[in-house]
This record gives sequence, structure tokens and C-alpha cells, in this order.
Amino acid sequence: MTEPRGARPAPVALADDGNELQFCSTCAFSSACLDSGYDKSRLKALHVLVEHTAPFREGQHIFREGDDFNAIAAVRAGTVKTYVTDLNGREQVQGFFLPGEVIGLNAVSRARYPCNAVALDTVLLCRFSFPRMATLATQMPGLQQQLFRLLSEDIGKATLLAGDFTAEERMAAFLVLLSRRYAARGLSPTRFRLTMARTDIANYLRLAAETVSRILKRFQSDGLVRVERREIAITDRARLEDAARNVLRN
Amino acid sequence: MNETTTIDSEILRRYDRPGPRYTSYPTAPQFHAAFGEMQLRQFIARGNAEPIPRPISIYVHVPFCFSPCFYCGCNRVITRDATKGERYLEHLLLEIERIAPLFARDRDVMQVHLGGGTPNFLAPPQLGRLLDSLGRHFHFSTARDRDFSIELDPRCIEDGDIDALAELGFNRASLGVQDFNPDVQDAVNRVQSVEQTMAVIDACRGAGFRSVNVDLIYGLPRQTQDGFRQTLDTVIAARPDRLAIYGYAHLPELFKAQRQIKVAELPDAEGRLGLLRLAVERLTAAGYQYIGMDHFALPEDDLAGAQAAGGLHRNFMGYTTHADCDLVGLGVSAISHVGDSFSQNPRDLAGWEIALESDRLPVWRGLELDFDDVLRADIIQQLMCQGDIGVAAIERRYGIDFRHYFAAAWPALEQLAGEGLLTLAQERIAATSRGRYLLRIIAMCFDRYLQKPQTADSTARYSRAI
Repeated sequence: MTEPRGARPAPVALADDGNELQFCSTCAFSSACLDSGYDKSRLKALHVLVEHTAPFREGQHIFREGDDFNAIAAVRAGTVKTYVTDLNGREQVQGFFLPGEVIGLNAVSRARYPCNAVALDTVLLCRFSFPRMATLATQMPGLQQQLFRLLSEDIGKATLLAGDFTAEERMAAFLVLLSRRYAARGLSPTRFRLTMARTDIANYLRLAAETVSRILKRFQSDGLVRVERREIAITDRARLEDAARNVLRN
Repeated sequence: MNETTTIDSEILRRYDRPGPRYTSYPTAPQFHAAFGEMQLRQFIARGNAEPIPRPISIYVHVPFCFSPCFYCGCNRVITRDATKGERYLEHLLLEIERIAPLFARDRDVMQVHLGGGTPNFLAPPQLGRLLDSLGRHFHFSTARDRDFSIELDPRCIEDGDIDALAELGFNRASLGVQDFNPDVQDAVNRVQSVEQTMAVIDACRGAGFRSVNVDLIYGLPRQTQDGFRQTLDTVIAARPDRLAIYGYAHLPELFKAQRQIKVAELPDAEGRLGLLRLAVERLTAAGYQYIGMDHFALPEDDLAGAQAAGGLHRNFMGYTTHADCDLVGLGVSAISHVGDSFSQNPRDLAGWEIALESDRLPVWRGLELDFDDVLRADIIQQLMCQGDIGVAAIERRYGIDFRHYFAAAWPALEQLAGEGLLTLAQERIAATSRGRYLLRIIAMCFDRYLQKPQTADSTARYSRAI
């Protein structure tokens, strides 16, 4: 049965929340720290501030291009979009960050944020002072490895769609990756909400907005997905993975 | 289904009380002025941002009529002055130019409906300019099931008009008839010959229109069983694809024209019931299917097919096969339904014109549906279109316990069940064949706004159930 307009959205992608002493279950660092025998109270003792920020509202900027870089932040809830504005004044979407993912990693080399980050819905963040975290990492191999892994993933994400792929391949890869990323945070891999606007998806995939809709309609009539307003249900995972294979290569 | 056994006078008499027609939920009286132009713009933008934005359905209201039919409760202006039509058209074009660019350009228009008033108060060349503008500023679908429909007053159709309309792309027509009996026509100030009407139906068929609808009204002054039977037989002989049989709602406090109608000439409750029963019997015997809420269709018509397939939808234009479009209402008093919002243009010509002349979208009032509104609207829509409510599906979709959520409605539902109007089961609440003629009574159980203490005029605002 198709969903009516305005049916209750899929559960909000909010990870179960941590507190002063406990890591959030989605925290990008919890496993690294716990594996190294550090719990949150120890981090605090080491003056690594783990600061839960006040919520950012839809459309609110978290940082802007050129701002001084001092912290990376893990998304606890909501979706963050990063983008730059090109010389023609056009927005170029660089990526989307879901709960458990870390923003600001691409600022490490220049001590300034090289892009803008904006909340696409209500966003909660967990900020880590980067200089302190870097210092801590020199004493904590697990944390260092985790940082390297995050940096590597960030680079991989940026280059993933750089190839000469068809619109279908890009769209399928986008959906499969979202699904895997949600799954990695313990959220449903088959039913999730596209929190980004159609034009953002199009911009990110280097497609026209009309093409995004046309391909989704085709996926829908082919039985791969069901789209109801912003809700996506993956109904034939195998075939969607297949369509994405050329991009994802695994 | 044998409909003839299902009109139960005792029950019908008991439930012959005022109630909304549920062309929308929440109904228009709930709209408020805090919802304005800015909110409408936001809802349009939100719709554009969806991965697959909804297609568009356009309603254009043409308020003018040459003469007043006394039964009418529509928003209309009586005039013979054609310059008023021209001025109105100019403003409509302004409204189109202003609102169309707000919609993403790949949102196809699946349906255009012209209602009134009398849309054919505007001459075919004027309607041509209207459609041309719509086509330039929106994008018309090229799909085969695209509907361009127009309400026609057969009394002001001239030779060649219908062909001209077909040329413009119109493919469905709805004709006002009400009753052919001369006494009734005289009492309601609408004299319209059978020949005139048949000529228009024939012209529509000749021009290749996909369907012709005829509107009749029961409960009019001086209406008798014999007279109405003749009207029914005449209409049925012409075999319109769709028929609407509305109950006349006598609300003279609200509609000035109705004060011309003599209460003494109106049929009583028993008489109204007899007329309705007669219509149902005649139409079902002639092979028409009851769609719900006053509407009948031949089995081969798209509406009947859509109902069987669960794809029927109801909006301000009545029943339609185009579910899940954003509805854009243009013209004075027109209502839009964009995303989870309703919004309405000013009901007075001057207010609508001034807004357009001052570069605004003419939004007078509206409403943003909350979770509860969306849920109840879904239930009422299912009732109106399919005659039942998929309880289990609703529970899954909205994450509620139906029985618990609607605990307040339960006694009323149980009473209706006890009277044989509906069946209450775990999975499904269904109107019985008897209850299908009282859908609005069942729907009222789910109307949160009716459960609030009623104000003095809220009972007078709605027409009677039968």
C-alpha cells in the first residue's frame, strides 16, 4: 500500500544519547577510546572536551568557509550538508553527514574550514577540540588509528563519484551508501528519510534535479525502491546493489 | 449489490442532520488568517524539494453567472456585463504568472478543472487565453489520462463552442441540469430545455470528450416523484458517463438567493427521502455504480475503475482518479491543497484583485495540517472513496492503536454499527450497503472539530446529510 501524504515519518535518525560519562552509541570515537581503556571520564581528565552543542535548526550554519578550525564534530542527530560556493556564485555540494559521522576533517591541513556546513534538519553535534585530540592520539594508538580511518573514509567519499558514471549508477550508489551508513549506526538500512532536498542530491551527484526524480521514478516502477514524499524504502536491495556495482566496486 | 433494499427511511430520517461534505478535512471553517502567502510559498518549496515532487492539479474558479439559480450556494457574481469577464481574466493571468514559477518546472499538470459560477461565462477565445497562459507557465502533462474538465451551463452554449473547447484540450464536461420539470425550473429560476441540454451532450460526444457528467438536485421546491422520475429517465436515456445527485441544502441565512425559495414548496423529509430512493433505484437499474457521496458512474468510466483499484481520490472538485497531486486553486474564493496545507483566496472580488495588483499571492486564510489532521483526513478520504477504513493499515502507517486513539469516537461508531450502518472489525471498519448513503454521518465520528462545543452558527453552516 502506498503511504498517504504526511504519514508519520520513519523514526528520526537519533542515536541513543550519551551523557557526561557514557559515549553515545554512535560516537565515532567511543570504540577507539574504550578499546584503549579510556572512558569518557578519562578523556575529560585529559582535557579533551567532548561538548554537546545546542541544536542547530534547519538552514543554520555550523561553520563557514574560512572560519578558524579548532574542532571536529560528530553528528549525533540530523543531517549536515557541506558545500562551497564557486566563482560563479553557484553552490557545489560536497557531502552529507549522518549521525555518527564526523565533520571538519577536511580542515586539518590548513587550520581553516575549507567549506561551509549547514544543518538540513535539527542537528545535534558533539564537538572535540582537535589540537587536544591530536595530542591524545599520540599517546593512544587506537584513537590514532581511528582518526586515520576517518580521514581515509573522508577522502574516499570525496572521490567516489568522480568517475564517468551514468546517472542511474550514481543514484543507485547514493542510495546504497546511505543505506550502509544508516545500517552502520544501527538504524534501518531499508527505510530511511532523505533529509536533503532534491536539488542538493542532484548537485551532489552532478545531475539535474529533474534527472534525480526521473531515475527514482524508474527505480520505483522497476520495484527497486518505493518513494513516498521524503521516505525511501528499498524494496529490492540486490538489484539496487547491482545497479551501483560499477561505482562501489564491492 | 442490490441498492434498492438499502434505503431505510427510519434510519435516514434520524440522521438527516447537518454535516460537512468533506471535500476537505479539516473543513474550510477551520481555516484561519494566520496562514498566509508566506506559508503557502514555504509549502510549495517544500514540495519541490521532495525526491519525486507531486504533480499538479489546477482548479480555476469563474464566479460569474448570467442569472441567479435560487438553490445555489456557490460563490458567484450575477451579471450580464462581459467586461467583468475580461477584467477577471486579466487578473487570473496575473495570478498564474505569479504562482506558476514557484513550482519546479518538472511538476506536470495532470488535471485542469474550471468551475463556477459559470466557466462558460467566458467565451472560448477567453478560455483559450486562460489555457494558453496555464500551458506556458506550468507544464501540461502529455499523459493519456490527463483531464481537462469544465462545468457548463447548457443555457449559454452557442454553436461551435464545444468544438472550440475540445480544440483547447478539454476532454471532460460537467453539465448542470438539476431538474427538467418546468414547475421546478420556474421555482428555482433556472429554465433549461431538454433539447438544449441534449444538444450539448451530443456536441461533447461528437467533439470526442472522454466523459460527460450531469448534475441533478433532489429536494428542490415543487419536486415530485413523478416529475423527478421523468427527469431521471430523460437523463438516463442520454447515458452520461457520470451523474451527481446532490441533496438541496436550504440555508437561507447563508445564501441570499435561497431566500427566494418558498419553504412551503420544499418537499418534507419523507419527500426528500423518496426522491433519493427513486434516483438510486433508477440509476442502479440503468447500470450505474454508486461511487459515494452523491456520485454515480457507468462501470466503464474511469471513476468506477479507479474505485475498484483503490485509486479514487476526493477533493474540492469532487471525485478524481488523480490521487496525490498538489491542488492549485486560482480565482476568487479558490482553495489550494499544497502538501499538508490548505489555503484559500479571498471570497470577494475586490480583495482578490487588490492582492494581485499589489504583487502578492492572494491568500486570505489557510491551515497547516498537523499529525492528527493528516491521520483523520486519511480515514475520512478512505471512507468517502472506498466506503471503508483499513484499520490495521492505518495503525501500521501512523503508529497508533486505533481503538485507543479514537476512544472518544467509539460510542458513536458502536451506535452506528448497532443500527446496521457499518461493521466494526479488528482489521476494517466498513460501511454497509445501507451506510454507504450516510458516509458523512460515519465520517463525522472522526471529525475532531465537530467534537468541540458547537457555536451557534456551526450547525447552520452545513447542509443536511440526505
